[in-house]
Amino acid sequence: MKRTIIMFVLSGLVLVTFIVWALNSKMSGGIQEILMMAGGIIVVGFAIFLAVGRARSSARKEPPEDELSKKIMLKASALSYYISIYWWLFLMYISDRVKWESHTLVGAGILGMAIIFLLSWLWTKFFGFRYE
Amino acid sequence: MNNRIRELRARHDLSQFDLAQKVGVRRETIVFLEKGKYNPSLKLAYDISKVFKLTIEDVFIFNDAD
Repeated sequence: MKRTIIMFVLSGLVLVTFIVWALNSKMSGGIQEILMMAGGIIVVGFAIFLAVGRARSSARKEPPEDELSKKIMLKASALSYYISIYWWLFLMYISDRVKWESHTLVGAGILGMAIIFLLSWLWTKFFGFRYE
Repeated sequence: MNNRIRELRARHDLSQFDLAQKVGVRRETIVFLEKGKYNPSLKLAYDISKVFKLTIEDVFIFNDAD
């Protein structure tokens, strides 16, 4: 239950940070800002989804995580780490070709990693891992 | 590897949730097992077999092709 509460608190903090950032930075509504915002909302939504799942499991008196959920997380983490290396390589490649500030590139890198993790998790969850 | 969990569960009149509770996993894990999307750990295979009072080989069928 403690981990579920931490997940809710962290998701809330990230959400509040995004709202403060959106209100304080004079957003021009450019495609880059919209993508950043959408990515952030997806990542926070995913974290809330996981936290709600854990809370519902606790309410049903099921363990919040078991060997399957741990293995899904482990495989999704390994897969996303592997793909993220190529994501950072891609960002390094385009950094010479676009006029992005360094903090924007780092932000895109971190947000990209979070989205890659989400996709890896969905992939693992959907297809399972029968022969591993 | 195939398994007879669905069949044995029906024979023992157990829901997925009941079986999950008995072996200490989430219902989702039983769903994954029945769909053949996940091969359980030795401990879980043993626990499930114990619920049905059978051996692991009676519940989980290993194919040479696997």
